[in-house]
Amino acid sequence: MICAGIDAGSRAIKAVLYDTAAALVLTSGLADQGVEQERLATELFDKLLREAGLNRSQISGVIATGYGRNAIRFAGTTITEITCHARGVHHLAPDARTIIEIGGQDSKVIALEDGGRVRDFAMNDRCAAGTGRFLEMVASRLEMNWEKLSGLAQQSRQPALISNVCAVFAETEIIGLLASGKPLSDVVAGVQNAVATRVATLAGRVVAPPVYFTGGVALQAGMARALAEVLACPVSVVPQPQFTGALGAAVLAAERVA
Amino acid sequence: MTAPRKLSLSEWDNRYAELHRAGLREPAYGGPLRRHVEREQDFRLEQLQFDNSPAALRLWNFLLTENERLHQARARGEKIVGAMKDLGTIPVMAYALPGLRAFYPDGAWWTPCLMEGSDKLLQQAEALGIDASFCPVRAMLPAFQNGEHFPLPDLLLCSTGAVCDDFSAIAQRLEHLGHAIFWWEMPRRRQPAAGETACALAGNLTAPKSQVDCVRAELQRASGALGQLAGRELDAALLADGIRAANQVRRLLAELRQTVYAAPAAPLPALELLVAEMLALHFCSDREECIAVLEDLLAEARARRSRNQFVSGPEAVRIFWVNPVADLRAMNLLEDLGGRICGSDFMFTHALDLIPEDLPPLEALARTALADPMVGPASDRAARIVRECHANGAEAVVVSRIPGASHCAREGEIIRGSVRQTLNLPTIELEIPSVCDALQPALGSRLQALMETARARRTK
Repeated sequence: MICAGIDAGSRAIKAVLYDTAAALVLTSGLADQGVEQERLATELFDKLLREAGLNRSQISGVIATGYGRNAIRFAGTTITEITCHARGVHHLAPDARTIIEIGGQDSKVIALEDGGRVRDFAMNDRCAAGTGRFLEMVASRLEMNWEKLSGLAQQSRQPALISNVCAVFAETEIIGLLASGKPLSDVVAGVQNAVATRVATLAGRVVAPPVYFTGGVALQAGMARALAEVLACPVSVVPQPQFTGALGAAVLAAERVA
Repeated sequence: MTAPRKLSLSEWDNRYAELHRAGLREPAYGGPLRRHVEREQDFRLEQLQFDNSPAALRLWNFLLTENERLHQARARGEKIVGAMKDLGTIPVMAYALPGLRAFYPDGAWWTPCLMEGSDKLLQQAEALGIDASFCPVRAMLPAFQNGEHFPLPDLLLCSTGAVCDDFSAIAQRLEHLGHAIFWWEMPRRRQPAAGETACALAGNLTAPKSQVDCVRAELQRASGALGQLAGRELDAALLADGIRAANQVRRLLAELRQTVYAAPAAPLPALELLVAEMLALHFCSDREECIAVLEDLLAEARARRSRNQFVSGPEAVRIFWVNPVADLRAMNLLEDLGGRICGSDFMFTHALDLIPEDLPPLEALARTALADPMVGPASDRAARIVRECHANGAEAVVVSRIPGASHCAREGEIIRGSVRQTLNLPTIELEIPSVCDALQPALGSRLQALMETARARRTK
């Protein structure tokens, strides 16, 4: 039985085809998000089906998640990102007790119980400072792409201190730091620390290990280290973190069909 | 008998015509809900879902005609008392005196929501020196200045001390603008120290006798001012009668809450319950009519329960809701997403507790006022919430925040922490502004995630 999960996120649409018998991801794909969310999701879904040599009638269940989930009408059900990320991470790392997910426009901290059940969660969807949007703003300001930004942070020797908690004002601060001759790598690492600090505030004082990091921002080299430092505990990045929500949706679809 | 259902304003137009044809009898302030949009620009009503009962119609008309009724009372020669930052104490005293009618100017905080900002009260408050870093209750300030809402009170009283910082600042600004205020002080409630005489308060709380004495003396001063306005002393016998009448309202509310919250599914919607609870504060400017409105609602809720007719399904997630919402629409949203309210703490639980009738009246009122959740530590409030969540079988807790409100910056976290630690229930904190339309997808996602989490816990 094959099930699908579609994660219509704020920056990208992610899709996963999941083979329940083998408990394996058959294929996955990603497309930039846009205005016509359902068309973009349909094109991505059909592309994955072609790659896997399948047609829609062979898909037993589709669940959509992400902020744009309600626009994906070909999905049988919609489930929030909290539940889907929790299920996806539990599938990949059954020992997970805390999940940190940083996406394009929000961040989440999810506490899990034994068996992967969500115990509690906290979300930041009001402030860009703890999300991937802040890193995007910095990349744009520094006229570099996401990958280069990621590489630069790795070279930092003394991360800059970004004192502002507002992404907009922090940008002004970054300009000042650069003007004062602070190395670019230290500024970028400072920005990563600022994002990590905001997320740690969301997590509160007690974070139960093991902690897993997921979402597109987990692909940024240095972010897991920054989170581990502020949380004072190891933080592991799950494999292909950008697909965890879609994977969770596909696994949940499979559980519902079974 | 019509089955319970939630109706849009347009659907209520038809329902009203139908009820009218069937011989609906209404009080003087009755009429179709639509008129509040047309006359008062209460545009938010077009976005809300209302209960379809005549009892709900009466409740809404009662709420939405308050300013009109206050102006009529003024025209009849009654004296108007503004009771500010006092959740349920001064109005008990004011209504004990014939010819006085108390209202709650702070209630203007819902005006920007109801009028969807068309009144520009928040912008005008900013021009008067109170900006968006303050609670939306700042809408009260221009309402005093422009006189387009409530009548200017003959006497304005405001509690100060261990009350909301925002409100204190706003009220001080109001006084600077020329509105004389009678201030009375509320100390921060604390546990009695060793050797101090303890007094029992409502809600399993205690305070030192010295604090109760202090509040009683302050209320005695307020009583003098009210008596002067009424031209008659507020003696113990009058006040005892006033307390008994206030307790009648509180008993009705307690029964209504019990009938709705303890039912297997909700016989009345969350929004109507929120509005009904708010009546406890100052009887919506008419104590006798307030009793009649609550009796109708209670009768409706009981009838629905006995017929097993509900506005939510039995599978709805039982949510305990903490703090009132600046946008009434949030209560509809919760139910649209599959939740129901099984308990609430709208920040004035002391105004729902019975005032002791076996104590000297001012002492009884002082003890009730000191039980205000806002004047004590957040942990006291959290403890009551935990008890009520447990008693009412809550599956999750929503702590809603009011933008700018700052009486305790960490209160939400303290409440959530207690709920997690004691009951292991999932909780969320939401900030709900006066008009939350733009945030609705984010608010909806959080509420939906909370309900998914609560439902998942039922099965494992």
